[in-house]
Amino acid sequence: MGMEVDTNEPAVELTEAENELYDRQIRLWGLESQKRLRTARILIAGLSGLGAEITKNIILSGVNSVKLLDDKPVTEADFCSQFLAARESLGSNRAEASLLRARALNPMVDISADTQSLKEKTSEFFADFDVVVVSGETNEELLRVDNICRELGVKFYATDVWGMFGFYFASLQKHKYVEDLVKYIPKASTKPNEKTKYELSSTPVQREMEYPGYSTWLNLETSSRSFQRKLKKSGPGLLLLNVLQKFRSTHKRDPSYKTREADLELLRGIRDDQVPNSSLADEALGVLFAQISPAVAIVGGVVAQEVIKVVTKLEAPHRNLFVFDPQTCAGYIENIEAN
Amino acid sequence: MAAAIDGVFPASLQELVKKSKVLVVGAGGIGCEVLKNLVLSGFTDIEIIDLDTIDLSNLNRQFLFHREHVGKSKARVARESALSFNPDAKITAYHDSVTSTDYGVNFFKKFDVVLSALDNRAARNHVNRMCLNADVPLVESGTSGYNGQVELIKRGLTQCYECMPKEAQRSFPGCTIRNTPSEPIHCIVWAKHLFNQLFGESQEDEDISPDAADPDAKDASEKEGESTTVSNEKDKEAEDTANGNVVRINTRQWAKDCNYDAGKLFNKFFNEDINYLLQMSNLWKTRKAPVPVQWDTLLPEGAADGEKEFAKQHHKVWSVEECAHIFANALKELSASFLKLEGDDTLVWDKDDRPAMDFVAACANVRSHIFNIEQKSRFEIKSMAGNIIPAIATTNAITAGISVMRAFNVLESKWEQCKAVYTRLRLNARNQILVPELFFPKPNPNCYVCSSDPAIGLKIDTKKVNIKQLRDDVLVKTLNMLNPDVTVESTGSILISSEEGETECNEDKLLADMNIVDGVILKCDDFFQNYELSIIISHFDSERDEAVFEVVADPKQLQPKEQDKEESVAAPEETKVAKKRSANGNEVAADEGPSTSKKSRPTIVEDDDDDDCLLIEDEDETAQEEAPVASDKLSSPKTATKRKPSTDVIDADEDITEILDSSDEEEAGPTKCKRSRLDEQPKPVEIINID
Repeated sequence: MGMEVDTNEPAVELTEAENELYDRQIRLWGLESQKRLRTARILIAGLSGLGAEITKNIILSGVNSVKLLDDKPVTEADFCSQFLAARESLGSNRAEASLLRARALNPMVDISADTQSLKEKTSEFFADFDVVVVSGETNEELLRVDNICRELGVKFYATDVWGMFGFYFASLQKHKYVEDLVKYIPKASTKPNEKTKYELSSTPVQREMEYPGYSTWLNLETSSRSFQRKLKKSGPGLLLLNVLQKFRSTHKRDPSYKTREADLELLRGIRDDQVPNSSLADEALGVLFAQISPAVAIVGGVVAQEVIKVVTKLEAPHRNLFVFDPQTCAGYIENIEAN
Repeated sequence: MAAAIDGVFPASLQELVKKSKVLVVGAGGIGCEVLKNLVLSGFTDIEIIDLDTIDLSNLNRQFLFHREHVGKSKARVARESALSFNPDAKITAYHDSVTSTDYGVNFFKKFDVVLSALDNRAARNHVNRMCLNADVPLVESGTSGYNGQVELIKRGLTQCYECMPKEAQRSFPGCTIRNTPSEPIHCIVWAKHLFNQLFGESQEDEDISPDAADPDAKDASEKEGESTTVSNEKDKEAEDTANGNVVRINTRQWAKDCNYDAGKLFNKFFNEDINYLLQMSNLWKTRKAPVPVQWDTLLPEGAADGEKEFAKQHHKVWSVEECAHIFANALKELSASFLKLEGDDTLVWDKDDRPAMDFVAACANVRSHIFNIEQKSRFEIKSMAGNIIPAIATTNAITAGISVMRAFNVLESKWEQCKAVYTRLRLNARNQILVPELFFPKPNPNCYVCSSDPAIGLKIDTKKVNIKQLRDDVLVKTLNMLNPDVTVESTGSILISSEEGETECNEDKLLADMNIVDGVILKCDDFFQNYELSIIISHFDSERDEAVFEVVADPKQLQPKEQDKEESVAAPEETKVAKKRSANGNEVAADEGPSTSKKSRPTIVEDDDDDDCLLIEDEDETAQEEAPVASDKLSSPKTATKRKPSTDVIDADEDITEILDSSDEEEAGPTKCKRSRLDEQPKPVEIINID
């Protein structure tokens, strides 16, 4: 911690109450990071269970403000993981229904709701945020928002969970951060003949990385060698993501528990069409309905941690596609490069 | 409530979730998240236990709690909040210690799976034994900072929580603390000892005055024999008493007699005692000599009343003058509270008690200044003195998510899928941040908990250790038994009884006087944990400042007999291979995470990134590996209480040290330990901490 990353340092000082509340995390990421969080403005678009998890974690961390954007109503499926919306709010707007509990998580954070559709939001709207996190949208819409964000210099995350499977994509453009290089160095010994002891020493190093846009993922053909190689190396996660996104754009919805068997049939069809004889087993298709709480907690936890890294400029955000495999509980990163 | 909606889960899993009964141990950082995941997944029969109450510093991650809940029971508030997510769930909350005799093996047997989210090693060991004994699968979890870990423990299939030795906590030789500190932690430990000398429960090994018997202080000729001061073996004891008990008691009385005059006390600790140390000139031949400070020189005007602005600046390093001011003010407040206590009650040091923390921060820094050691901010000193483990919401959420995913696998009996998973800040070589183990480590055949006939070797100075210490320090604190019965194998005579009063007359006798000497085998039985253990005694003469006992996990290492040869070659090997468990009991894999690598890792590895923090603990606060000295644990929060031996072990006070697995209990020396089963009936222990 302790090293200046850029010149426009947040000039805020933490209050005593903040120091006390955030004590355990300040001990991990330092005061400077906590001050940066204090100024961060975050947009969460899409208040599914995943949106709720990310919102919770971000609010707890002590950012400046969070806007919840969603034009959809609370549905029965939300009861599987959307804990910010009370049961009684069934049918009302998801962003508004989440406000009360979101605010109770941390009264020091400014939280607001917006019930408009993401599609109606233009460049001006996004300019008010440091990080934009979008879930539940089609690839076309994700691409549109990413392009706007890239123009504005706003950091963009696309993320989703289907059942127990999930991903995020990070589009951060040029991102500067500080990373601690940790080494063991020999310690000066007080007594002769003593075995050399080592101690940890960490040196902050400033780095910069370039993150390509969401289009690099969309442009990755399933038939390309690079895609095939990744499947071979890390399993069928990327293929599953591709199948689910195709399902969404084709059917204008996600697989539904109400039509479970029929949708499983559709999913198998898309899978076989994309990559015949793949290792994507039928079993993996059986857990893609609604959003399952523990899986959402995992993906939402990872996404929120990444947002915190971006805001605090501490540690390298993973580049750039994260996949969670519910069969093994592995969470891994694919590096999707621009061609 | 996913399981209540047809079509969300595959039908088989839906049924299992609906009908399963789950126990969550701990309602802290991981526990809150686990409970949320369970009710939303559609589990309706849940019990949760935690003896802790809610603290302000929990609120940055224990999201079921809000400001208005501070001071209330974690288990009960967690239950209420979780019910608002799914009013159809049935949740039973216990504001209680899981080691209480109310929760015996039959209690554990009710559950299909136990999810543990504890923050201390002693309670984890206990839950491990109960689950093994009840044969209920246990999903064990812990976090520390960015690192998290989840592992399944199932009898006969996996390693148990105690199969692998855990890292001992760091402790420091008495002379380093009393005479020759060289690191900030030495001065912090000294300052905590000083607090206890004045206001707390006196501990035998917590002297703060100069130690004239420091071997380093003698010059070569003295070492060989003629002594100007005292040096031969026989005199040593007398001298220990002189420097120890007598002086210690006097320090407290003397301070009281001086009406806690800040200047007098300050000069005694930071001037007179330092001058005395300077006379031990041999100490300073190779070290930089300390420079005493004087009250009148630092504060010619005396200390101003009231709290100064700088005392609130927790991130700044105070000057010596500022420390003197803070010392005076803290002394005033502490002595006032101390004098209000009745009878033999004492204060208990608590990092969250402002004057107690101020006192330690100020004294540690003045001493550091004297010894030319780097001074630290109050914030940093609090971490070290309180063994605080950093904790964040995201790691807890991820870890709890994995824990419940594993619970699904357990219910479906998909054991092969239940390999341990680690959460890491940075990618491993396979580009993973959530890293599943590649294989199931086999149970350790010599585990002193889960093997069929568990045994350990105990190297112990039978001429210095008495029966009470054997019980309190070895069996309870180190081996985590609750209330053991001990018999001598060869004669069947009862050495220690779990019935109060039955063997009290033995307590003060030395082992050697009871004929517990080299080669004797003791049979220990903890009825409640249903845990039987053989202890093979091996005598050694301990050196000054050396631990008086050490637990040797594989007793065969103690006694290499011919007939054991084959086994002893094979077995220890296997132990070595296994990964090290870190403090929190968690394993820390050598490379990032799991992995195949089997080498046992030296404590220090060059550039191994994130494992500086090997510990995982859970949540909260709790202990850290560097935990200074064991004796710092508090036995119970704030108010003065007498500590019972058993309490000590278990208690974790939330943030403190105790916990984690880390360690603390092992302080006294033993490092490796392990053990075995459980069942019902010892005395309840009061505290546990969970989180």
